[in-house]
Amino acid sequence: MLKLVIQKELRDILTSTKFIVSFVSCALLILLAFAMGAAGYRADVARVEAARRENLKQMEGLTDWMMVRNNRIFLTPQPLASLVAGVSDDIGRTMEVRGRGEMPQEDTRYGEEPVFAMFRFLDLEFIFQTVLSLFAIVFAFDAVSGEKERGTLRLSFANPLPRATFMAGKLAGSFLALAVPLLVPILIGCAVFTLMGVPLTTDEWMRLALIIGSGLLYFGAFLALGIAVSAMTRSSSTSFLALLVIWIFAVLIIPRSAILIAGRAVDVPSLDDINAKKFRYAEQLFAEDRAAMNAFSPADRSDPRKMIEEFQKFMGNINDARQKKMDEFSSRLNEERANAQGVQSSVALGIARISPATCFTLAASALAGTSLALQDRYIAQARAYQVSFAKFILGKTGINPGGGMVFRMRIGDGEQEKPIDTHELPAFEYRRPVLADVLPAALPDAGVLAACVFLFFAVAHVAFRRYDLR
Amino acid sequence: MDKAPMIEAIGLSKKYEDGVLALDNLSFAVRPGEVYAMLGGNGAGKTTTINLFLNFIEPTAGEARIDGIVTHRDPLAAKARVAYVSENVMLYPNFTAMQNLEYFTRLSGRPAPTPEALHRALLRTGLAEEAHHKRLRGFSKGMRQKCGIAIAIMKNAPAILLDEPTSGLDPQAGFEFIALLKSLRDEGKAVLMSTHDIFRAKEAADTIGIMDRGRLVMQRTAGELAGEDLERVYMQHIAGHDGLAA
Repeated sequence: MLKLVIQKELRDILTSTKFIVSFVSCALLILLAFAMGAAGYRADVARVEAARRENLKQMEGLTDWMMVRNNRIFLTPQPLASLVAGVSDDIGRTMEVRGRGEMPQEDTRYGEEPVFAMFRFLDLEFIFQTVLSLFAIVFAFDAVSGEKERGTLRLSFANPLPRATFMAGKLAGSFLALAVPLLVPILIGCAVFTLMGVPLTTDEWMRLALIIGSGLLYFGAFLALGIAVSAMTRSSSTSFLALLVIWIFAVLIIPRSAILIAGRAVDVPSLDDINAKKFRYAEQLFAEDRAAMNAFSPADRSDPRKMIEEFQKFMGNINDARQKKMDEFSSRLNEERANAQGVQSSVALGIARISPATCFTLAASALAGTSLALQDRYIAQARAYQVSFAKFILGKTGINPGGGMVFRMRIGDGEQEKPIDTHELPAFEYRRPVLADVLPAALPDAGVLAACVFLFFAVAHVAFRRYDLR
Repeated sequence: MDKAPMIEAIGLSKKYEDGVLALDNLSFAVRPGEVYAMLGGNGAGKTTTINLFLNFIEPTAGEARIDGIVTHRDPLAAKARVAYVSENVMLYPNFTAMQNLEYFTRLSGRPAPTPEALHRALLRTGLAEEAHHKRLRGFSKGMRQKCGIAIAIMKNAPAILLDEPTSGLDPQAGFEFIALLKSLRDEGKAVLMSTHDIFRAKEAADTIGIMDRGRLVMQRTAGELAGEDLERVYMQHIAGHDGLAA
């Protein structure tokens, strides 16, 4: 009998005009998301390649590695970020590597193209989170109350049909009728992605499959919620209104409110405050060093070369010491800020997770490698690169780079200086996370989504046991 | 010897949570091959009685039985033995008549019917063959009523509950319906029909019960009522009326 109810539900939904109109709209949006994502990825790759070439071009003609002061690194575009943008458009994609010190992030996508920040991008995550959750509600709001209004509920239960079977058939049938057809445009979208030249590794395909799986769980949660609300109301108009209010809160209000509440509850020092403190400390250190510099007197004044080398060594030591203090001070401030931010984001996400929309966003962005962890991962890799860059420059010049002004004196020996070979410069390539890296972060949220499906279905089941069939 | 009742109410009472006594100690029996018409105005308790037989509500006292099965104790077994046609048959509008009929036949627990069997059932109700593969969306009330009766025929249940089945039907459809009802009775079905259509009740019923404010105020067989003006009898038994002659 369960199979029969599922078949009926499938037929009823698939032959309705409402389904055809909604499905075509959703399918077009999904295809658009894949096509725009692929085009965006290709444009990003071209932009980064051009920027890298320009970076190296600016170094061409230099004859001393010490003169390499503007080595820029770039966040390599990730194919999955074009489907689930996460924070990838909000963080600075470029850093200037000097060999030591902090590397401010620059060049956010929204900073470069602020018009997109107004309405964000139409990516797959947005379509699942906003459009498909509405799609689920549109089909679930009258699942029970609509049958009651139409009179088919009375006729159905004039037969030996257990209520639990009817409810299970409703959920399974609705899910199959609505979710499975959505896989068609998603699969076509994947083909479009490949045909447009976006290279996905096996690992990324698996992550994309899990993103889609999370999306379907999220869709199922809203479907079960819709059926539950429908089983708790007598009229479909009341059910629709109730679901619309729940949707607005779940998708639009709760995630934003959670951030605001956490912002009020946990104080995080602003970047301006931190930078001001760093600036004042740097000034203080420099003032202390200036006295030492004024007191500098070379041991041997007869040989200019030795004099310069001694001065250089003196300056290098002063710079190193000052930079060490500065680094310690900065890292302490940064750590304090990062800790406060961590507490703030834990509070924010803890509150926001009561909404399935937040859980889906967190699971999808974690799987895509575009969650809040992207920034930390990028900075960590950039720092590691800075160390290797510093070693490289030290190896080439014998001097630690980035420590301030360096005097180099060349006594004319008539020899023509050779330009540096920029190909020797260590390359920076952002290492994308793999499935094993992101799964621990994504699983809890995907688990919450699965729990939501079961919870809402249980609520629907209990509500329908007491439903007045008359 | 009398056959055992197929549809039976024994001291059936229903008091709603708001205190309204919808049914008060109702007792009657419908045997196989018998049509029982429950006559009464709005609020007399006819639909409440049907709801109790379908276990949509539970009785405050007494029992509703189908083929000896107490409906609120074993609702699924009872429902397997009863077919139901409502006043306004509402089916799935996106399905054709055949698809609706097939679904509800299988929902009744019967094996998947052949298309020929479905066609025969629909033709028996008088639904033209060209309508069999059309969606219900454009069907008139009479056409939907025929589909509802076809569902009852396909279920082939020994008991049939009809809730105001002729309400809103045109005279020809009403006539066809009564003819069909008689043929079902001749097949041995026990039919309980709630109606306020005195003419149809007299035409089709073997026994007529008049209900008023939840109580069965009169019950007579067709033979006992022969030669009497049923409308006059009805008005005599309705509370607050002294009959047409008064």
